[in-house]
Amino acid sequence: MSSEVFNPNPTVFATARSNRGLPAHYKANSLWLDDGTHDIEEDDESNEVEVIDQDEIFELIRSISDPEHRSMTLEQLAVVSAPQITFDDKTPDRLTVEFTPTVPHCGMSTFIGLSIRVRLLRSLPQRYKVDIRVKPGSHQSEHAPVNKQLNDKERVAAALENPALLEVLEQCLSTVGQHPEPTAA
Amino acid sequence: MEALERIIRTWVVSEREEEVVAAVSEISSGNATLLHLVKALGQYLTSEEDELRTKGVEFLSQVITRCPAEKFNRQSVRVLVAFYCGKLEDTETIIPALKGLVPLADLPPFTSTDAVEVMNGLVQHVKMKSLVQSQRFLVYKTIDALIAHNRDALKGMGREFLSGYISLAEGEKDPRNLLLAFAIDRVILLEFDVSAHIEDLFNITFCYFPITFRPPPDDPYGITTDDLKNALSGCLTATPLFGPLAIPLFLEKLTAGTPVTKRDTLEALDSCLPVYGPAVARNHARKLWNWLKLEIFQPTDSRTEEAALKTTQVLIQTIYSVVERETQTDEAEIQGLAKDACEECIQILREPEKSQAKPAIKVLCAFMSTTPPVARFTLARATPHLVRLFLDPDEAANRAPTLRLLADFVAAARDSMDPEVLPAEGEAPLAPYKDEVLGVLTAGLQVAGCAEPALDGLRGLATTRALLTDEELGFVVHCVNELLQREGAQGAEGADASDAALSLLTTIAASAPWHVAQTTLPLLLGALPDRAPPRGAQAERLGYWRTLASLARLCEQSDLFETLVVRLSTKLDLVCVPSAPGSGSEGQETDPDVEPSAAYAHSMLKTIVDVLVVKVDLGHADVMKYIDRLVPRLFNLFIYSALMSDGTYMVATDPRLVSVAAQIITLIVQTLPAQRQEVFVKTLCAGYLQGDITQLADGHQKIPSDKRFSPLDENASPLQKNLLALFSAGVVALHKEVKLLVHDETSFLKSLLQWAAKHADNVLQRDAVTHVLAAVINKRAGGLSAFLSETLGEFWTTEVSDLSVSSEKRRQAITMWAWMTKALLVRGDPLAMQNIDRLFTLFDDSEIGWDAARALGQVVSTDRILTKKNHAVIKILYAQRYCSAVLPRIIDGARSSDPRQQNAYLVALTSLIKAVPKSVYAHQMSTLMPLLLRGIYLPDDEIRAGVMDTLFAAAESSSKENSVLAEHASSLVSTMLRNSMVNDMPSVRVRIAALRFLAILPNTMRYDVLHPQKATVLRELAKVLDDPKRAVRKEAVEARTNWFKFTG
Repeated sequence: MSSEVFNPNPTVFATARSNRGLPAHYKANSLWLDDGTHDIEEDDESNEVEVIDQDEIFELIRSISDPEHRSMTLEQLAVVSAPQITFDDKTPDRLTVEFTPTVPHCGMSTFIGLSIRVRLLRSLPQRYKVDIRVKPGSHQSEHAPVNKQLNDKERVAAALENPALLEVLEQCLSTVGQHPEPTAA
Repeated sequence: MEALERIIRTWVVSEREEEVVAAVSEISSGNATLLHLVKALGQYLTSEEDELRTKGVEFLSQVITRCPAEKFNRQSVRVLVAFYCGKLEDTETIIPALKGLVPLADLPPFTSTDAVEVMNGLVQHVKMKSLVQSQRFLVYKTIDALIAHNRDALKGMGREFLSGYISLAEGEKDPRNLLLAFAIDRVILLEFDVSAHIEDLFNITFCYFPITFRPPPDDPYGITTDDLKNALSGCLTATPLFGPLAIPLFLEKLTAGTPVTKRDTLEALDSCLPVYGPAVARNHARKLWNWLKLEIFQPTDSRTEEAALKTTQVLIQTIYSVVERETQTDEAEIQGLAKDACEECIQILREPEKSQAKPAIKVLCAFMSTTPPVARFTLARATPHLVRLFLDPDEAANRAPTLRLLADFVAAARDSMDPEVLPAEGEAPLAPYKDEVLGVLTAGLQVAGCAEPALDGLRGLATTRALLTDEELGFVVHCVNELLQREGAQGAEGADASDAALSLLTTIAASAPWHVAQTTLPLLLGALPDRAPPRGAQAERLGYWRTLASLARLCEQSDLFETLVVRLSTKLDLVCVPSAPGSGSEGQETDPDVEPSAAYAHSMLKTIVDVLVVKVDLGHADVMKYIDRLVPRLFNLFIYSALMSDGTYMVATDPRLVSVAAQIITLIVQTLPAQRQEVFVKTLCAGYLQGDITQLADGHQKIPSDKRFSPLDENASPLQKNLLALFSAGVVALHKEVKLLVHDETSFLKSLLQWAAKHADNVLQRDAVTHVLAAVINKRAGGLSAFLSETLGEFWTTEVSDLSVSSEKRRQAITMWAWMTKALLVRGDPLAMQNIDRLFTLFDDSEIGWDAARALGQVVSTDRILTKKNHAVIKILYAQRYCSAVLPRIIDGARSSDPRQQNAYLVALTSLIKAVPKSVYAHQMSTLMPLLLRGIYLPDDEIRAGVMDTLFAAAESSSKENSVLAEHASSLVSTMLRNSMVNDMPSVRVRIAALRFLAILPNTMRYDVLHPQKATVLRELAKVLDDPKRAVRKEAVEARTNWFKFTG
C-alpha cells in the first residue's frame, strides 16, 4: 500500500445504534409484556421468511475499518450509509451499494470498494448480484477505473491473489460485526 | 584443638557437611576458638599445593558462615579481614575468600577500616569477567553489606570507591546479580556525591533500559520482569543529575521502539520527569511534545495513546510546578509549552467535526488535571471557543460534534477536582463559565441531532460538585422534561435521546429527587391513560409501555418510588374495577373485551416488579414499608375480583396478573426481618386457612361479607384457587425460623400434597403449592421426617410409579417430586439421594422415562424459589457433591446396551450438564464428549440445542493445544453443518446453536486439525446464508467470516 496520506483529517459522523426500539420484554404484536416467568426463552420458532433488506446489508458493511484511518469505520466517515443501498425493483436479487470517498482524490477508493465487495461475497447468498459503485460526483475517476474494477469479477479475483493486499484487506475486515460505542467519549 | 585438627583432616578428604557442623559446634560450645581454627588450618592455608590452599580457605569460610555472631570479637574480625584480603590476591583462594567476606561484612565488630580495606581489596584483585554468576553474586553481596553497615566509610573513600564500584558492576548481565546491583546503585545515586561520575553511573544503569528480560519457563529464582523494572526504575529516578543525559535517550527509544518499548519509556518518563525537574523538562519540552503529539493524534494503539496523554500531563505538571508556587494569584499569563500546545489544539478544534478534533480535546481534557493555573488557562481558552462555535450560525451544521467536545471537556473539568476535598460554592473549575455552558447545552437539547451530546454535557454539569444551584438543576430538569415530551411524540425515533434523558434525570434524582418528583413524574404519570387503549390501538399501547419503562428507570429513589406506587396502585384499582360496585353490568354491555385492560394492569404491576428488583439488589431499606402500603392493597384487589367474579371475566382474575403480583409480594416479603414476617404470616394464614381476610386484604374494594374466601377448599372456584400463587409468594420468602400458623406442619404439608395431586386445575396452582412444599421442606426438613419418608413414599407409589395413573398426571407428579428433592438436595440432606434413586428406576418406563431423566438435571438447576434472597438453606458445593454421586452412574448407564435405557441416560446427562456450572464436570470432559456427541442425535430439539450450548461452553474454555474437541473435529463439523440447514432442521434455536458452535471452532482448534474441513464448511455455510430467518443468517455470516479468517 502506498504511504501517501489522502485525507489526514476526515470528518467524523455520529453513528446510528444498531438496536433501535424497545427493551427485550416488549413484544411488538402482543398485548402483553413478557413477565420473565418463562424459564426457557420462547424463540420465534416459525420459519416465516424474513427478506434480506437494506438494513441487513448495511449491518454487514458498516463496521468495516477505513484503510487510512483504521480506528474508524466506514460508517463513521459516512463512506457508506443505509440509504445508499438500493434493491432493483424488478429483480430482488440485484442490488447496488454506493459509497462516498471522503475526498475526491482518494486513492483508497478502489480498496474500500474491494473490501465491501469481499465482505458481501462472503456474507450474502450466491444468488445476489451486487453492483458496487462510487457515488456520482464524489470521485474524480468514478467513470473510468474504479467502478469498472470493482465490478469485474476477474479483476477482483486477481486483486485477491495479491498477498500484501489481502493482508490489509483482512485487517480492515477484522472489525466487521463489532460496533464501536456510538459517539463514545 | 586436637579435635579440630582431626575434623579438618577428615574434611579435606571427605568434604562432607558433617565436619563443618562439627567444627562449628566445637567453637559454639567454647571448646575451641576461631584462633584455634586458624592455627589448626595453618598448614593448609599456607600450603604450596594450590588445591590444599583452596580447601583450607574454603573450610574456614564455611565455618565462619555458620558460626554464631557472638563468637566473633573485634580482634578476630580484624585478623580474618586482613587474612581474606590477602587471599583475594591469590587466584586459587579468591573464591573461598569471597565466601568468607560475605558473613564477615555483616558482623557488628566489622568496622569502617575493615570496610575500606575490603573494598580496596575487591577493586584491586577481583576481575568480574573471570568469575561466574554465583561468584559475582558474592561480590555484590559483600558490597551490599558494606553499604548497609559502613556507608560513611565508603563515602569517605570518595572517587576511589565510585570508580572502583563502577568498574566492578559494568557489564553485569545476570538478573539475580542485577537486582542486587540496582539496589546498590540506587543508594549510591541517592546518598553519594556522584556528580563527577554521573556519566559512568548513567552508563551502568541506563544501558539496561528498557528491560527486555523474559523469565525462562520454570525459573527457579522467580525473578519477574517487573522485579527488574521496578529495581531499575528506582535507579533512573534516583537523581536529577540524570536528567540531561536521560531525556535524549528516552526520545531515541520513543522514536525507534516497538509499542512495548514506547510504553515502557512513557512510564519511565512519568516517574523520572518530576525528579529531573522543571528546567530539564522545559529544555526538552518541544521535542517531547512533538513526539507525544504524534502518538496522540496518530495513535498506534489505544494503550500507547493513553500512556502518551498521561506523560503529557506529567510533562506539563513538571514544567509548571514551580510557577504554581511562585504565583499564587496566577494572573500572570501562562507561557511556554502549555500555551503553545493549548493553542495548537484550539486551532484544530476550529473544525470540530473532523477526526483530529477528538485527540485535540483529549489533550485539553488531560491539561485539566495538571496544575490549577494551567487548568484555568485551558478552561479560559477552550470553553469560550466551543461556546462561540456552537453559537456561530456558519457552524450550525457542526453543533452536534461541538457539543460532544464540550461534553467531554465538562466531564474532564469535573474529574479534575480533588475527590477528597469538599468544594465550596463556586469553587468548581467550570464555575466562571457556568452560565454560557449551561445555556449552550440546554439550547442544544432543542437542536435536532444534538440532544445526546447535550444531555451528556448536562450530566457532566449536574455531577460536578458545587457547580449548579438547586434552581439551575430545576431548570435542567425542566428542559429535559420538554425534550422527553417532544421525543415521546416522535415515537420510536426519539428512543435514543429519551434513554439518555432518563439516565440524566436518574442521576439528578439521586441527589435532588424533588425536581424530578415535582415536574417529571406528574408529566409521565399524566401521560398514562385511565383506561386501557382498545385492542387495535397499538400506538397508544406502545406509548404507555414507553412511559412505564421511563417511570421504571426513574423511580428507584425512595421518594419517587413511593409516588409511583401510590399512583400506579390507584390506577390499577381503576382499571381492574372500572365502575363503582353494584353497576358491574354496565361494563358487560358496552365492551366485553377486557383483555387490553388486563394487559395494561399487568404492565403496571410489571413496572413495580422491575423497580423492586433493582431496589432489592441495591439493598434499599424503603422496600420493607410496602408490606403495609402495597401488599394489603394487592390482596384486596385480587381477592375482591376473585370473589366477585361469578363466571364473568374480571381483569384482576387473569392468572398472568396473579403471577406478576406474586413476584411483588415475594420481593417485599424477602426484605422483612423475621419478626415482621411473623406478623405477616399470621394475617396470611388467617386469610388463606381460616377465611379471615379483614387484615390481609385491607384496601379500596369493599369485599362483601357473604362471600367466603377458601381457596384450599376442593370445591372453591378456580379463580380462588389461582390466588394460592399469592400465598405461595409470601411463604417462599420466609426466614427459616418463621413457621406457618398451622397446628401440625406435617399434616398440613400432607394435605397440600394431596391437594396438588387431586384438586389443582392448572400449572399456576400446582406450582404455587409445590413451591410452598419445597420452601417448607428446605427450611425445616428436620421436623418433617414422617412426611419425608412415609408421605412421600406413598406419593411415589400412588402418583408416580403406578402405571394405571395417566401419564400426564405422572409427569406432573415427577415435577413435584423433583422440587421436593431439590429442596432436600440444596440443604445437603441425605434423604435427597433416596428420592433420586427412585427417579433412576423409571428410566425404563416408555411413557415417562425421559421426564424422570430430565428431573435429574432439574433437581440441581438454579431457580427463583430456593434462593439465598428467599432465605433458603443452601449448602455450598451441593451441586459438586451431587454430580460426583450421580455422574458416574449416568455415564455407566449411557453405555448400556439397551437402547431405551441408553437414551434415557443420555437425556439425564444433557439435562444435568446444562444445570450445573461447567467447573463441576470440566475434568471429565474427555469421557463425556462421545456421549454428548450422541446426545445431538436425540430426536428432541431442546436437548440438541442444550448439548450444542454445552459444547460451545467447552470450546470457549479450551485452549488450542489441549482441546478435548480436537479428536472429534470432523464429526462435530459435519453434525453441526447438518443441524444448521433449514431443510434438515426446522428449529431456529438449534440452527443458531449449531452455527454458534461452528463459529467458535476456529478459535479453539489448531489450523492443521481443522484444515481438511475448511472448504466444506465454507461451501455449506454459503447455503445457510440464505436461511429464511434473519437471526440465523447473522450467525451464519459470523461463522463463515471466522472460517475465512482461519489460516495457518
